[in-house]
Amino acid sequence: MNEHTKQQNSDLVLEVRHVNGGYRKGGLLGRGAFKQILFDVDFQVRHGEIVGLVGESGSGKSTLAKLILGLLRPESGQIVHHTPRPQIIFQDPYSSLNPAYDVEWILEEPLKVYGKYDRAERKRRVRDILARVELDERFLSCRPDELSGGQRQRVSIAAALIRRPRFLIADEPVSALDVTVQAQVLRLMRNLREELDLSYLFISHDLNVVYQICDRVLVLKGGVIVEQGEVEEVFRAPQHEYTKRLLAAAE
Amino acid sequence: MNYVIRRILMLLLTMLIVSFLTFLAFELVSGDVAQTKLGTEGTPEQVAALRHELGLDQPFLLRYGQWLGGFFTGDLGVSYYNPQPMWELIGPKLGVTLILAAISFLLITLISIPLGLLSYRLAGSPLDGLRTAFNQLCMAVPPFFIGILFSWFFGITLKLFIPEGFPSSIRANPGEAMTQLFFAAVCLSIPRIAMTVRMMRSTVIGEMQKAYVRTAISRGNDRRGVLLRHVLKNSLTGTVTFLAQTLAELIGGSIVVEQVFGIPGLGRFLVAEIRALDYPVVQTIVVILAFWVVLAGTVADLINQRIDPRLRLGGAK
Repeated sequence: MNEHTKQQNSDLVLEVRHVNGGYRKGGLLGRGAFKQILFDVDFQVRHGEIVGLVGESGSGKSTLAKLILGLLRPESGQIVHHTPRPQIIFQDPYSSLNPAYDVEWILEEPLKVYGKYDRAERKRRVRDILARVELDERFLSCRPDELSGGQRQRVSIAAALIRRPRFLIADEPVSALDVTVQAQVLRLMRNLREELDLSYLFISHDLNVVYQICDRVLVLKGGVIVEQGEVEEVFRAPQHEYTKRLLAAAE
Repeated sequence: MNYVIRRILMLLLTMLIVSFLTFLAFELVSGDVAQTKLGTEGTPEQVAALRHELGLDQPFLLRYGQWLGGFFTGDLGVSYYNPQPMWELIGPKLGVTLILAAISFLLITLISIPLGLLSYRLAGSPLDGLRTAFNQLCMAVPPFFIGILFSWFFGITLKLFIPEGFPSSIRANPGEAMTQLFFAAVCLSIPRIAMTVRMMRSTVIGEMQKAYVRTAISRGNDRRGVLLRHVLKNSLTGTVTFLAQTLAELIGGSIVVEQVFGIPGLGRFLVAEIRALDYPVVQTIVVILAFWVVLAGTVADLINQRIDPRLRLGGAK
Protein backbone atom coordinates (compact mmCIF):
# COMPACT_ATOMS: atom_id res chain seq x y z
CA MET A 1 0.00 0.00 0.00
CA ASN A 2 1.56 3.29 -0.99
CA GLU A 3 1.50 6.50 0.99
CA HIS A 4 -1.28 7.98 -1.06
CA THR A 5 -3.88 5.22 -0.48
CA LYS A 6 -3.04 5.04 3.22
CA GLN A 7 -3.79 8.72 3.53
CA GLN A 8 -7.00 8.22 1.62
CA ASN A 9 -8.09 5.22 3.76
CA SER A 10 -7.53 6.92 7.10
CA ASP A 11 -10.10 9.44 5.95
CA LEU A 12 -12.71 6.73 5.39
CA VAL A 13 -14.80 4.99 8.03
CA LEU A 14 -16.73 2.66 5.74
CA GLU A 15 -16.38 1.32 2.23
CA VAL A 16 -19.17 -0.64 0.62
CA ARG A 17 -17.77 -2.10 -2.58
CA HIS A 18 -20.12 -3.44 -5.24
CA VAL A 19 -22.27 -5.33 -2.76
CA ASN A 20 -25.05 -7.68 -3.78
CA GLY A 21 -27.13 -8.89 -0.88
CA GLY A 22 -30.39 -10.52 0.09
CA TYR A 23 -31.93 -13.45 1.92
CA ARG A 24 -32.04 -17.17 1.47
CA LYS A 25 -35.40 -18.41 2.58
CA GLY A 26 -36.24 -21.98 3.61
CA GLY A 27 -34.59 -25.07 2.21
CA LEU A 28 -32.30 -27.43 4.05
CA LEU A 29 -29.00 -25.97 5.29
CA GLY A 30 -30.03 -22.49 4.19
CA ARG A 31 -29.68 -23.46 0.52
CA GLY A 32 -33.15 -22.23 -0.42
CA ALA A 33 -34.08 -19.76 -3.11
CA PHE A 34 -32.13 -16.50 -2.98
CA LYS A 35 -34.09 -13.29 -2.94
CA GLN A 36 -31.81 -10.48 -3.96
CA ILE A 37 -32.55 -7.15 -2.31
CA LEU A 38 -29.47 -5.05 -3.06
CA PHE A 39 -27.79 -4.69 -6.45
CA ASP A 40 -24.21 -3.53 -6.84
CA VAL A 41 -24.37 -1.06 -3.97
CA ASP A 42 -21.19 1.01 -3.82
CA PHE A 43 -20.41 4.00 -1.60
CA GLN A 44 -18.15 5.34 1.15
CA VAL A 45 -18.66 7.14 4.39
CA ARG A 46 -15.88 9.57 5.23
CA HIS A 47 -14.63 10.60 8.63
CA GLY A 48 -17.00 12.98 10.41
CA GLU A 49 -19.66 12.74 7.75
CA ILE A 50 -23.39 12.23 8.16
CA VAL A 51 -24.56 10.30 5.14
CA GLY A 52 -28.29 10.03 4.58
CA LEU A 53 -29.82 6.92 3.08
CA VAL A 54 -33.28 7.62 1.69
CA GLY A 55 -35.79 5.50 -0.15
CA GLU A 56 -39.27 4.16 0.30
CA SER A 57 -40.00 1.09 2.43
CA GLY A 58 -38.86 -2.07 0.72
CA SER A 59 -36.04 -0.32 -1.09
CA GLY A 60 -33.44 -2.25 0.91
CA LYS A 61 -32.40 0.29 3.55
CA SER A 62 -32.64 -2.09 6.49
CA THR A 63 -30.98 -4.91 4.57
CA LEU A 64 -28.06 -2.60 3.90
CA ALA A 65 -27.89 -1.75 7.62
CA LYS A 66 -27.80 -5.45 8.49
CA LEU A 67 -25.01 -6.07 5.99
CA ILE A 68 -22.94 -3.23 7.40
CA LEU A 69 -23.48 -4.49 10.96
CA GLY A 70 -22.45 -7.98 9.90
CA LEU A 71 -25.82 -9.49 10.79
CA LEU A 72 -26.07 -10.59 7.15
CA ARG A 73 -23.35 -11.69 4.73
CA PRO A 74 -23.12 -10.14 1.29
CA GLU A 75 -23.54 -12.53 -1.63
CA SER A 76 -20.75 -10.73 -3.42
CA GLY A 77 -18.78 -7.55 -2.97
CA GLN A 78 -16.98 -6.27 0.11
CA ILE A 79 -17.77 -4.24 3.17
CA VAL A 80 -14.67 -2.70 4.70
CA HIS A 81 -14.69 -1.04 8.10
CA HIS A 82 -11.96 1.41 9.01
CA THR A 83 -13.29 1.78 12.57
CA PRO A 84 -14.10 -0.70 15.31
CA ARG A 85 -17.51 -2.38 15.22
CA PRO A 86 -20.21 0.16 14.28
CA GLN A 87 -23.28 0.48 16.49
CA ILE A 88 -26.91 1.03 15.59
CA ILE A 89 -29.76 3.15 16.88
CA PHE A 90 -33.16 1.72 16.05
CA GLN A 91 -36.30 3.51 15.09
CA ASP A 92 -38.71 2.47 17.76
CA PRO A 93 -37.50 3.42 21.24
CA TYR A 94 -40.67 1.83 22.66
CA SER A 95 -39.77 -1.71 21.74
CA SER A 96 -36.04 -1.67 21.14
CA LEU A 97 -35.16 -1.31 24.83
CA ASN A 98 -35.50 -4.37 27.05
CA PRO A 99 -38.59 -3.65 29.19
CA ALA A 100 -37.47 -5.85 32.09
CA TYR A 101 -34.45 -3.80 33.13
CA ASP A 102 -33.63 -0.29 34.26
CA VAL A 103 -31.62 2.28 32.31
CA GLU A 104 -28.41 1.60 34.23
CA TRP A 105 -28.55 -2.10 33.32
CA ILE A 106 -29.38 -1.33 29.70
CA LEU A 107 -26.42 1.03 29.37
CA GLU A 108 -24.02 -1.25 31.21
CA GLU A 109 -24.91 -4.40 29.34
CA PRO A 110 -23.01 -3.75 26.08
CA LEU A 111 -19.88 -3.34 28.22
CA LYS A 112 -20.53 -6.59 30.06
CA VAL A 113 -20.82 -8.47 26.77
CA TYR A 114 -17.15 -7.79 26.13
CA GLY A 115 -16.17 -8.46 29.70
CA LYS A 116 -13.02 -6.38 29.71
CA TYR A 117 -14.34 -3.50 31.78
CA ASP A 118 -14.46 -3.74 35.57
CA ARG A 119 -17.44 -2.62 37.56
CA ALA A 120 -16.09 0.80 38.49
CA GLU A 121 -15.14 1.52 34.88
CA ARG A 122 -18.57 0.44 33.67
CA LYS A 123 -20.36 2.67 36.20
CA ARG A 124 -18.10 5.57 35.30
CA ARG A 125 -18.80 5.18 31.59
CA VAL A 126 -22.55 4.88 32.18
CA ARG A 127 -22.60 8.17 34.08
CA ASP A 128 -20.40 9.83 31.51
CA ILE A 129 -22.54 8.79 28.56
CA LEU A 130 -25.76 9.68 30.37
CA ALA A 131 -24.48 13.23 30.77
CA ARG A 132 -23.51 13.32 27.11
CA VAL A 133 -27.07 12.49 26.02
CA GLU A 134 -28.30 15.14 28.47
CA LEU A 135 -30.19 12.87 30.83
CA ASP A 136 -30.22 13.28 34.59
CA GLU A 137 -28.74 10.52 36.75
CA ARG A 138 -32.10 9.95 38.38
CA PHE A 139 -33.16 8.16 35.19
CA LEU A 140 -30.67 5.39 35.91
CA SER A 141 -33.17 3.52 38.07
CA CYS A 142 -36.08 4.00 35.64
CA ARG A 143 -37.35 1.31 33.36
CA PRO A 144 -38.08 2.18 29.71
CA ASP A 145 -41.84 2.35 30.27
CA GLU A 146 -41.32 5.17 32.77
CA LEU A 147 -39.63 7.36 30.14
CA SER A 148 -40.99 9.53 27.35
CA GLY A 149 -40.25 8.75 23.70
CA GLY A 150 -37.48 11.35 23.50
CA GLN A 151 -35.90 10.13 26.75
CA ARG A 152 -35.99 6.57 25.50
CA GLN A 153 -34.31 7.51 22.26
CA ARG A 154 -31.61 9.28 24.26
CA VAL A 155 -31.11 6.06 26.20
CA SER A 156 -30.91 4.16 22.89
CA ILE A 157 -28.27 6.57 21.63
CA ALA A 158 -26.36 6.28 24.91
CA ALA A 159 -26.46 2.48 24.70
CA ALA A 160 -25.13 2.63 21.16
CA LEU A 161 -22.32 4.98 22.23
CA ILE A 162 -21.28 3.26 25.46
CA ARG A 163 -18.57 1.20 23.79
CA ARG A 164 -17.24 4.35 22.12
CA PRO A 165 -17.76 3.43 18.50
CA ARG A 166 -16.65 5.90 15.85
CA PHE A 167 -19.39 5.05 13.38
CA LEU A 168 -23.12 4.82 14.02
CA ILE A 169 -25.94 3.56 11.89
CA ALA A 170 -29.14 5.39 12.78
CA ASP A 171 -32.15 3.51 11.38
CA GLU A 172 -35.03 6.02 11.28
CA PRO A 173 -33.92 7.34 14.70
CA VAL A 174 -36.51 10.10 14.96
CA SER A 175 -39.43 8.76 12.92
CA ALA A 176 -41.32 7.60 15.99
CA LEU A 177 -41.00 10.98 17.72
CA ASP A 178 -43.08 14.12 17.41
CA VAL A 179 -41.61 17.13 15.67
CA THR A 180 -40.28 19.15 18.63
CA VAL A 181 -38.66 16.07 20.15
CA GLN A 182 -37.29 15.20 16.70
CA ALA A 183 -35.51 18.55 16.56
CA GLN A 184 -33.99 18.02 20.03
CA VAL A 185 -32.72 14.55 19.21
CA LEU A 186 -31.27 15.72 15.88
CA ARG A 187 -29.48 18.57 17.64
CA LEU A 188 -28.13 16.08 20.17
CA MET A 189 -26.88 13.80 17.40
CA ARG A 190 -25.13 16.70 15.70
CA ASN A 191 -23.49 17.77 18.97
CA LEU A 192 -22.36 14.23 19.69
CA ARG A 193 -20.73 14.06 16.29
CA GLU A 194 -18.57 17.02 17.20
CA GLU A 195 -17.84 15.98 20.78
CA LEU A 196 -17.15 12.31 20.14
CA ASP A 197 -15.82 12.58 16.61
CA LEU A 198 -18.50 10.36 15.10
CA SER A 199 -19.72 9.54 11.60
CA TYR A 200 -23.26 8.45 10.84
CA LEU A 201 -25.15 6.55 8.25
CA PHE A 202 -28.55 8.10 8.72
CA ILE A 203 -31.40 6.00 7.33
CA SER A 204 -34.66 7.85 6.85
CA HIS A 205 -37.69 8.14 4.63
CA ASP A 206 -38.20 11.71 5.83
CA LEU A 207 -36.41 14.07 3.44
CA ASN A 208 -36.88 17.07 5.72
CA VAL A 209 -34.99 15.33 8.49
CA VAL A 210 -32.28 14.27 6.04
CA TYR A 211 -31.93 17.84 4.84
CA GLN A 212 -31.57 19.07 8.43
CA ILE A 213 -28.82 16.75 9.51
CA CYS A 214 -27.01 15.11 6.58
CA ASP A 215 -23.95 16.21 4.62
CA ARG A 216 -24.39 13.77 1.78
CA VAL A 217 -27.27 11.60 0.67
CA LEU A 218 -27.73 8.25 -1.06
CA VAL A 219 -31.02 7.56 -2.82
CA LEU A 220 -31.95 3.89 -2.87
CA LYS A 221 -34.65 2.52 -5.15
CA GLY A 222 -35.37 -1.17 -5.60
CA GLY A 223 -32.00 -2.06 -4.11
CA VAL A 224 -30.04 0.20 -6.45
CA ILE A 225 -28.40 3.52 -5.53
CA VAL A 226 -29.89 5.74 -8.19
CA GLU A 227 -28.31 8.98 -7.03
CA GLN A 228 -25.76 10.24 -4.52
CA GLY A 229 -24.18 13.59 -3.74
CA GLU A 230 -24.02 16.57 -1.41
CA VAL A 231 -27.39 17.12 0.24
CA GLU A 232 -27.69 20.73 -0.97
CA GLU A 233 -26.93 19.73 -4.52
CA VAL A 234 -29.20 16.73 -4.67
CA PHE A 235 -32.06 18.65 -3.14
CA ARG A 236 -31.55 21.70 -5.40
CA ALA A 237 -30.97 19.86 -8.66
CA PRO A 238 -32.00 16.21 -8.47
CA GLN A 239 -30.80 14.22 -11.48
CA HIS A 240 -32.78 11.02 -11.21
CA GLU A 241 -36.50 10.92 -11.93
CA TYR A 242 -37.12 9.01 -8.67
CA THR A 243 -35.34 11.63 -6.56
CA LYS A 244 -37.43 14.33 -8.17
CA ARG A 245 -40.59 12.44 -7.29
CA LEU A 246 -39.45 11.91 -3.70
CA LEU A 247 -38.70 15.60 -3.33
CA ALA A 248 -41.99 16.61 -4.87
CA ALA A 249 -43.81 14.32 -2.47
CA ALA A 250 -41.98 15.85 0.50
CA GLU A 251 -42.96 19.44 -0.36
CA MET B 1 -43.41 -2.35 50.43
CA ASN B 2 -46.74 -0.62 50.24
CA TYR B 3 -47.68 -2.99 47.47
CA VAL B 4 -46.67 -6.02 49.52
CA ILE B 5 -48.87 -4.90 52.41
CA ARG B 6 -51.81 -4.28 50.07
CA ARG B 7 -51.34 -7.66 48.50
CA ILE B 8 -51.25 -9.40 51.90
CA LEU B 9 -54.41 -7.59 53.02
CA MET B 10 -56.05 -8.79 49.81
CA LEU B 11 -54.88 -12.29 50.59
CA LEU B 12 -56.44 -12.17 54.05
CA LEU B 13 -59.70 -10.86 52.63
CA THR B 14 -59.77 -13.61 50.01
CA MET B 15 -59.12 -16.20 52.69
CA LEU B 16 -61.96 -14.80 54.76
CA ILE B 17 -64.36 -15.04 51.82
CA VAL B 18 -63.14 -18.52 50.89
CA SER B 19 -63.54 -19.77 54.45
CA PHE B 20 -67.03 -18.28 54.67
CA LEU B 21 -68.13 -19.87 51.41
CA THR B 22 -66.71 -23.21 52.50
CA PHE B 23 -68.51 -23.01 55.83
CA LEU B 24 -71.73 -22.07 54.07
CA ALA B 25 -71.38 -24.87 51.53
CA PHE B 26 -70.86 -27.46 54.25
CA GLU B 27 -73.79 -26.04 56.18
CA LEU B 28 -75.93 -26.70 53.12
CA VAL B 29 -74.66 -30.20 52.23
CA SER B 30 -74.24 -31.68 55.68
CA GLY B 31 -77.94 -31.48 56.58
CA ASP B 32 -78.90 -32.37 60.14
CA VAL B 33 -75.68 -33.83 61.42
CA ALA B 34 -77.09 -34.89 64.76
CA GLN B 35 -79.85 -36.82 63.06
CA THR B 36 -77.42 -38.43 60.65
CA LYS B 37 -75.08 -39.40 63.44
CA LEU B 38 -77.75 -41.03 65.57
CA GLY B 39 -79.50 -42.62 62.63
CA THR B 40 -83.17 -43.58 62.66
CA GLU B 41 -82.78 -44.98 66.17
CA GLY B 42 -82.30 -41.59 67.79
CA THR B 43 -85.21 -40.10 69.74
CA PRO B 44 -85.95 -36.41 69.17
CA GLU B 45 -84.63 -35.74 72.68
CA GLN B 46 -81.32 -37.42 71.92
CA VAL B 47 -81.07 -35.51 68.65
CA ALA B 48 -81.76 -32.22 70.40
CA ALA B 49 -79.21 -33.05 73.09
CA LEU B 50 -76.55 -33.91 70.50
CA ARG B 51 -77.34 -30.77 68.51
CA HIS B 52 -76.77 -28.77 71.67
CA GLU B 53 -73.59 -30.68 72.44
CA LEU B 54 -72.22 -30.05 68.92
CA GLY B 55 -73.25 -26.43 69.15
CA LEU B 56 -75.58 -26.77 66.18
CA ASP B 57 -78.41 -24.92 67.92
CA GLN B 58 -76.39 -21.71 67.78
CA PRO B 59 -77.04 -19.15 65.01
CA PHE B 60 -75.14 -19.71 61.75
CA LEU B 61 -72.95 -16.60 61.89
CA LEU B 62 -71.96 -17.23 65.48
CA ARG B 63 -70.89 -20.76 64.63
CA TYR B 64 -68.91 -19.44 61.67
CA GLY B 65 -67.20 -16.93 63.95
CA GLN B 66 -66.32 -19.60 66.47
CA TRP B 67 -65.04 -21.92 63.77
CA LEU B 68 -62.93 -19.18 62.22
CA GLY B 69 -61.58 -18.21 65.64
CA GLY B 70 -60.73 -21.87 66.17
CA PHE B 71 -58.44 -21.72 63.16
CA PHE B 72 -56.24 -19.21 64.93
CA THR B 73 -56.26 -20.90 68.32
CA GLY B 74 -55.57 -24.33 66.82
CA ASP B 75 -58.99 -25.65 67.78
CA LEU B 76 -60.22 -26.95 64.44
CA GLY B 77 -63.27 -28.78 65.72
CA VAL B 78 -63.68 -32.49 66.25
CA SER B 79 -64.07 -35.35 63.82
CA TYR B 80 -67.36 -37.23 64.09
CA TYR B 81 -65.54 -40.49 64.48
CA ASN B 82 -62.18 -39.71 65.97
CA PRO B 83 -61.95 -37.90 69.30
CA GLN B 84 -58.32 -36.85 68.71
CA PRO B 85 -57.76 -33.12 68.25
CA MET B 86 -58.20 -32.34 64.55
CA TRP B 87 -54.70 -30.95 64.23
CA GLU B 88 -53.15 -34.24 65.41
CA LEU B 89 -55.27 -36.00 62.85
CA ILE B 90 -54.47 -33.79 59.88
CA GLY B 91 -51.01 -32.51 60.75
CA PRO B 92 -48.88 -35.57 59.92
CA LYS B 93 -50.78 -36.15 56.66
CA LEU B 94 -50.46 -32.54 55.66
CA GLY B 95 -46.73 -32.81 56.40
CA VAL B 96 -46.32 -35.80 54.11
CA THR B 97 -48.25 -34.12 51.30
CA LEU B 98 -46.30 -30.88 51.70
CA ILE B 99 -43.02 -32.78 51.38
CA LEU B 100 -44.36 -34.52 48.28
CA ALA B 101 -45.47 -31.19 46.81
CA ALA B 102 -42.17 -29.50 47.71
CA ILE B 103 -40.07 -32.19 46.02
CA SER B 104 -42.33 -32.10 42.94
CA PHE B 105 -42.20 -28.33 42.77
CA LEU B 106 -38.43 -28.31 43.07
CA LEU B 107 -38.14 -30.89 40.29
CA ILE B 108 -40.53 -28.97 38.06
CA THR B 109 -38.81 -25.62 38.57
CA LEU B 110 -35.24 -26.86 38.34
CA ILE B 111 -35.89 -28.99 35.26
CA SER B 112 -38.43 -27.08 33.21
CA ILE B 113 -36.80 -23.63 33.11
CA PRO B 114 -33.48 -24.82 31.63
CA LEU B 115 -35.33 -27.34 29.46
CA GLY B 116 -37.68 -24.63 28.22
CA LEU B 117 -34.71 -22.50 27.14
CA LEU B 118 -33.01 -25.54 25.58
CA SER B 119 -36.11 -26.60 23.72
CA TYR B 120 -36.31 -23.16 22.17
CA ARG B 121 -32.90 -23.81 20.67
CA LEU B 122 -34.25 -26.91 18.95
CA ALA B 123 -36.93 -24.88 17.16
CA GLY B 124 -36.70 -25.45 13.43
CA SER B 125 -34.22 -28.32 13.66
CA PRO B 126 -35.19 -31.84 12.54
CA LEU B 127 -35.04 -32.92 16.19
CA ASP B 128 -37.87 -30.53 16.97
CA GLY B 129 -40.56 -32.94 15.76
CA LEU B 130 -39.20 -35.62 18.05
CA ARG B 131 -39.16 -33.17 20.93
CA THR B 132 -42.79 -32.18 20.28
CA ALA B 133 -43.86 -35.84 20.20
CA PHE B 134 -42.01 -36.61 23.43
CA ASN B 135 -43.44 -33.52 25.06
CA GLN B 136 -46.98 -34.52 24.06
CA LEU B 137 -46.42 -38.03 25.38
CA CYS B 138 -45.22 -36.74 28.74
CA MET B 139 -48.21 -34.43 28.98
CA ALA B 140 -50.68 -37.15 28.06
CA VAL B 141 -49.50 -39.92 30.39
CA PRO B 142 -51.42 -39.65 33.66
CA PRO B 143 -49.29 -39.65 36.82
CA PHE B 144 -51.04 -42.72 38.27
CA PHE B 145 -49.97 -44.74 35.24
CA ILE B 146 -46.38 -43.58 35.57
CA GLY B 147 -46.79 -44.44 39.26
CA ILE B 148 -47.80 -48.01 38.45
CA LEU B 149 -44.85 -48.37 36.08
CA PHE B 150 -42.49 -46.93 38.70
CA SER B 151 -43.82 -49.22 41.43
CA TRP B 152 -43.23 -52.19 39.18
CA PHE B 153 -39.84 -51.14 37.87
CA PHE B 154 -38.17 -49.26 40.75
CA GLY B 155 -40.14 -51.04 43.48
CA ILE B 156 -40.53 -54.67 42.45
CA THR B 157 -37.75 -55.12 39.90
CA LEU B 158 -35.00 -52.87 41.28
CA LYS B 159 -36.25 -53.14 44.88
CA LEU B 160 -35.50 -49.49 45.61
CA PHE B 161 -38.62 -49.28 47.73
CA ILE B 162 -41.46 -51.48 48.94
CA PRO B 163 -44.68 -50.74 47.01
CA GLU B 164 -47.54 -50.02 49.41
CA GLY B 165 -45.00 -50.26 52.19
CA PHE B 166 -44.77 -46.66 53.34
CA PRO B 167 -43.49 -46.59 56.91
CA SER B 168 -45.97 -45.76 59.67
CA SER B 169 -44.36 -42.35 59.95
CA ILE B 170 -41.49 -40.57 58.21
CA ARG B 171 -39.43 -40.69 61.40
CA ALA B 172 -39.83 -44.46 61.65
CA ASN B 173 -37.84 -44.99 58.45
CA PRO B 174 -36.80 -41.73 56.80
CA GLY B 175 -34.83 -43.42 53.99
CA GLU B 176 -37.71 -45.56 52.81
CA ALA B 177 -40.21 -42.74 53.20
CA MET B 178 -38.13 -40.24 51.25
CA THR B 179 -37.42 -42.76 48.47
CA GLN B 180 -41.13 -43.35 48.03
CA LEU B 181 -41.89 -39.65 48.18
CA PHE B 182 -39.21 -38.98 45.62
CA PHE B 183 -40.57 -41.44 43.08
CA ALA B 184 -44.12 -40.24 43.72
CA ALA B 185 -42.90 -36.68 43.15
CA VAL B 186 -41.29 -37.67 39.85
CA CYS B 187 -44.62 -39.17 38.68
CA LEU B 188 -46.44 -36.06 39.72
CA SER B 189 -43.88 -33.83 38.01
CA ILE B 190 -43.48 -35.39 34.58
CA PRO B 191 -46.68 -34.09 32.93
CA ARG B 192 -46.25 -30.71 34.60
CA ILE B 193 -42.64 -30.39 33.51
CA ALA B 194 -43.81 -31.10 29.96
CA MET B 195 -46.51 -28.43 30.22
CA THR B 196 -44.14 -25.85 31.71
CA VAL B 197 -41.51 -26.54 29.05
CA ARG B 198 -44.08 -26.10 26.32
CA MET B 199 -45.32 -22.87 27.85
CA MET B 200 -41.81 -21.57 28.42
CA ARG B 201 -40.81 -22.45 24.87
CA SER B 202 -43.67 -20.56 23.26
CA THR B 203 -43.02 -17.57 25.54
CA VAL B 204 -39.34 -17.56 24.60
CA ILE B 205 -40.16 -17.84 20.89
CA GLY B 206 -42.52 -14.87 21.27
CA GLU B 207 -39.90 -12.83 23.12
CA MET B 208 -37.22 -13.65 20.54
CA GLN B 209 -39.31 -11.84 17.89
CA LYS B 210 -39.23 -8.60 19.84
CA ALA B 211 -37.21 -5.57 18.89
CA TYR B 212 -35.12 -5.48 22.07
CA VAL B 213 -33.64 -8.83 21.01
CA ARG B 214 -32.49 -7.25 17.75
CA THR B 215 -30.93 -4.46 19.80
CA ALA B 216 -29.19 -6.97 22.04
CA ILE B 217 -27.75 -8.82 19.04
CA SER B 218 -26.55 -5.57 17.51
CA ARG B 219 -24.74 -4.75 20.78
CA GLY B 220 -22.69 -7.91 20.38
CA ASN B 221 -24.68 -10.55 22.26
CA ASP B 222 -24.58 -14.11 20.97
CA ARG B 223 -27.65 -16.38 21.14
CA ARG B 224 -26.75 -17.58 24.60
CA GLY B 225 -26.31 -14.04 25.90
CA VAL B 226 -29.61 -12.98 24.36
CA LEU B 227 -31.41 -15.92 25.94
CA LEU B 228 -29.89 -15.73 29.40
CA ARG B 229 -29.40 -12.01 29.84
CA HIS B 230 -32.31 -10.54 27.91
CA VAL B 231 -35.08 -13.01 27.19
CA LEU B 232 -35.04 -15.11 30.36
CA LYS B 233 -36.19 -12.33 32.65
CA ASN B 234 -38.92 -11.26 30.24
CA SER B 235 -40.13 -14.85 29.94
CA LEU B 236 -40.07 -15.42 33.66
CA THR B 237 -43.21 -13.57 34.75
CA GLY B 238 -45.51 -15.84 32.73
CA THR B 239 -43.59 -18.87 33.91
CA VAL B 240 -43.82 -17.84 37.57
CA THR B 241 -47.60 -17.49 37.27
CA PHE B 242 -47.78 -20.87 35.57
CA LEU B 243 -45.58 -22.46 38.24
CA ALA B 244 -47.77 -20.98 40.97
CA GLN B 245 -50.81 -22.56 39.37
CA THR B 246 -48.89 -25.80 39.24
CA LEU B 247 -47.98 -25.48 42.90
CA ALA B 248 -51.66 -25.01 43.68
CA GLU B 249 -52.65 -28.04 41.63
CA LEU B 250 -49.93 -30.27 43.04
CA ILE B 251 -51.88 -30.92 46.24
CA GLY B 252 -54.95 -31.99 44.31
CA GLY B 253 -52.81 -34.02 41.94
CA SER B 254 -51.13 -35.75 44.84
CA ILE B 255 -54.41 -37.44 45.80
CA VAL B 256 -54.10 -39.95 42.97
CA VAL B 257 -50.38 -40.54 43.30
CA GLU B 258 -50.72 -41.06 47.05
CA GLN B 259 -53.25 -43.80 46.29
CA VAL B 260 -50.92 -45.56 43.87
CA PHE B 261 -47.92 -45.50 46.17
CA GLY B 262 -49.90 -46.02 49.35
CA ILE B 263 -48.57 -42.79 50.83
CA PRO B 264 -50.55 -41.65 53.90
CA GLY B 265 -50.87 -38.06 52.76
CA LEU B 266 -53.62 -35.50 52.89
CA GLY B 267 -55.12 -36.60 49.55
CA ARG B 268 -55.55 -40.18 50.61
CA PHE B 269 -56.93 -39.09 53.97
CA LEU B 270 -59.36 -36.69 52.29
CA VAL B 271 -60.80 -39.41 50.06
CA ALA B 272 -61.34 -41.67 53.08
CA GLU B 273 -62.97 -38.87 55.08
CA ILE B 274 -65.29 -37.93 52.21
CA ARG B 275 -66.39 -41.56 51.98
CA ALA B 276 -67.09 -41.53 55.71
CA LEU B 277 -69.02 -38.22 55.45
CA ASP B 278 -66.82 -36.82 58.21
CA TYR B 279 -67.73 -33.21 57.44
CA PRO B 280 -65.70 -31.35 60.07
CA VAL B 281 -62.52 -33.00 58.84
CA VAL B 282 -63.36 -32.60 55.15
CA GLN B 283 -64.26 -28.99 55.74
CA THR B 284 -60.96 -28.27 57.44
CA ILE B 285 -58.99 -29.95 54.67
CA VAL B 286 -60.93 -28.08 51.99
CA VAL B 287 -60.15 -24.76 53.67
CA ILE B 288 -56.48 -25.69 53.99
CA LEU B 289 -56.39 -26.57 50.27
CA ALA B 290 -58.16 -23.34 49.35
CA PHE B 291 -55.73 -21.32 51.48
CA TRP B 292 -52.90 -23.13 49.75
CA VAL B 293 -54.19 -22.13 46.31
CA VAL B 294 -54.76 -18.49 47.27
CA LEU B 295 -51.36 -18.30 48.95
CA ALA B 296 -49.60 -19.70 45.86
CA GLY B 297 -51.27 -17.03 43.71
CA THR B 298 -50.20 -14.27 46.07
CA VAL B 299 -46.61 -15.47 46.21
CA ALA B 300 -46.54 -15.56 42.39
CA ASP B 301 -47.84 -11.99 42.21
CA LEU B 302 -45.25 -10.79 44.70
CA ILE B 303 -42.41 -12.50 42.82
CA ASN B 304 -43.63 -11.17 39.47
CA GLN B 305 -43.87 -7.70 40.90
CA ARG B 306 -40.22 -7.98 41.97
CA ILE B 307 -39.26 -9.09 38.46
CA ASP B 308 -41.36 -6.50 36.68
CA PRO B 309 -42.78 -3.53 38.64
CA ARG B 310 -45.15 -2.72 35.76
CA LEU B 311 -47.25 -5.69 36.87
CA ARG B 312 -48.35 -4.14 40.16
CA LEU B 313 -51.97 -5.13 40.52
CA GLY B 314 -54.09 -2.02 40.20
CA GLY B 315 -50.97 0.15 40.33
CA ALA B 316 -50.88 3.52 38.64
CA LYS B 317 -48.15 2.80 36.08
